[in-house]
Amino acid sequence: MTRRISKTKRFYMQNPIIQFFKFIWLSLKILVIVAGGHGGTRNVNGQ
Amino acid sequence: MAKIVILGAGIAGHVAAAHLRRKLPKKHEVLVVSPNSNYQWIPSNIWVGIGRMKSEQILFPLPPLYKKKGIGYKQAKVTTFHPEGDAETPKPYVNVEYVVGDHKGKTEKVTYDYLINATGPKLAFDMTEGLNPGTNKAYSVCTYTHAEHAWHALNTLIQEMKQGKKAKILIGTGHAKSTCQGAAFEYILNVEKELRRHGVRDMAEVTWIANEHELGDFGMDGMLMSYGNNIMKSSEMVEMVFEDRGIKWIIGAGVNKIEDGVAHYETLDGEFHTETYDFAMLIPAFSGHGFKAYDKDNNDITKKLFKGFMIVDADYTPRPYEEWSVQDWPETYQNPTYDNIFAPGIAFAPPHAISKPRTSKNGTPISPAPPRTGMPSGMTAKLVADNIIDMINGKKDLHHKGSMGNMGAACIASAGYGMTQGSGVSITTFPIVPDYHKYPDTQGRKLGKTFGSIGLAGHWLKLALHYAFIYKAKMKPFWWLIPE
Ligand SMILES: Cc1cc2nc3c(=O)[nH]c(=O)nc-3n(C[C@H](O)[C@H](O)[C@H](O)COP(=O)(O)OP(=O)(O)OC[C@H]3O[C@@H](n4cnc5c(N)ncnc54)[C@H](O)[C@@H]3O)c2cc1C
Repeated sequence: MTRRISKTKRFYMQNPIIQFFKFIWLSLKILVIVAGGHGGTRNVNGQ
Repeated sequence: MAKIVILGAGIAGHVAAAHLRRKLPKKHEVLVVSPNSNYQWIPSNIWVGIGRMKSEQILFPLPPLYKKKGIGYKQAKVTTFHPEGDAETPKPYVNVEYVVGDHKGKTEKVTYDYLINATGPKLAFDMTEGLNPGTNKAYSVCTYTHAEHAWHALNTLIQEMKQGKKAKILIGTGHAKSTCQGAAFEYILNVEKELRRHGVRDMAEVTWIANEHELGDFGMDGMLMSYGNNIMKSSEMVEMVFEDRGIKWIIGAGVNKIEDGVAHYETLDGEFHTETYDFAMLIPAFSGHGFKAYDKDNNDITKKLFKGFMIVDADYTPRPYEEWSVQDWPETYQNPTYDNIFAPGIAFAPPHAISKPRTSKNGTPISPAPPRTGMPSGMTAKLVADNIIDMINGKKDLHHKGSMGNMGAACIASAGYGMTQGSGVSITTFPIVPDYHKYPDTQGRKLGKTFGSIGLAGHWLKLALHYAFIYKAKMKPFWWLIPE
């Protein structure tokens, strides 16, 4: 096992309070990407 | 009055049935034909495979729901397609064979005005000699029953490790052309976490084996993504996680034969090797179901409908990788010969792979087939339902389009179960199929929308999605507000 994730990063990744805000941020970000729409690729305007 | 028949009740079939029923007046008939009467939320199979969820938590029976909602249901499997009908039956129909009860084995012609083929993939274990879930110490998590067997075997091994046995665990792809690396990636991280939880991590050597030419390819040609304030390749992110967890890896490997505790594989450099194991979970190749189609005179027209999977509005002209474009990918999932037949989800034939095709020095193709995950499966099913509704209402053109080259997807890969100790690798990508023309400097993807994140929040998110999607699938109040 080679430590590739530093102690500080690991703390950040597993801290429930920080991660709670990350959860909200991730949920919103994913919602924007997914609900942001989809379309075709073949017409002139590309949408 | 129109009759819409949906083949398959997986993510795509069920999403299509639910939207059609909600949006269409009751005079129109919506009928689902599927051999499995349970709806299963497949992404959570990973947790069944490590014993942290029971099958009952990820599935529910469909017949009572369909009855309540006015959706017809036949527990049967489609066998042949007759898009022009025949001499006796002038309407288009499919032949279905009942799989349970008094009717078991009996066939019936099911006529339709519109047909949605959402039969997903055939789990083609037979394409790898000796790969059959539950034999040769090799398992699968592709269905909930497979996942249960996998957990049973893994748990037995964990108990043996507690008694001092050293063990080798091999997880990844079981065929040179397998897809779904993401599911195997989740499983290996979850297994590794469980070994730690059970205090036996030191007793196990955990190895990843995959047909990807580099880690993190995921059948998507890899990704360049934002990661915190940095820009990182998916290969670097996966390497970081594997090294940190002490997971070894074998890549560019086409597994071609499984014997009791031994995986035989060929690598891209043309060498043949074996890897021994005490427990393996290997994703098989996915193939079409081998359906046949006939015209009204009973001539075989399978080639008009199928190319392994179902032919849709993709551009199937064979081209070298350098000439592939997002325009090759389908937008409406409509069959070009029969405009009342559609194939969303995994059931449609992709125009080509997404990852660069590679062959070994011996000429064996070893590279991932293109994945079609849950999110695009749901989105394509919904747009197919919306186009059918438009057609029923007399519209000529198909307005609802969703190419995987102009669609985002999120892959929340569980990296360990637990409300405080869990973890998840959250990856989003836009578009799913890289558009090298539009985003030439960022490997075909939009950076802000293609990002990776690791941590506890990812686990919560995956768990939240589990509950949200089961709620949605059960068609509980306001289910349609939850996006695909
Ligand atoms: C272990 C695992 C984990 C995954 N995790 C994720 C994840 O985290 N996120 C994600 O986005 N995706 C994930 N996926 C991928 C996701 O599950 C698929 O993209 C999705 O299930 C595809 O939906 P589908 O409806 O096209 O096919 P399926 O879900 O396979 O459904 C096919 C349906 O057709 C039925 N059928 C089969 N044969 C016939 C026949 N002859 N006649 C009629 N019906 C038939 C089947 O019974 C089934 O109901 C995962 C996949 C696996 C295997």
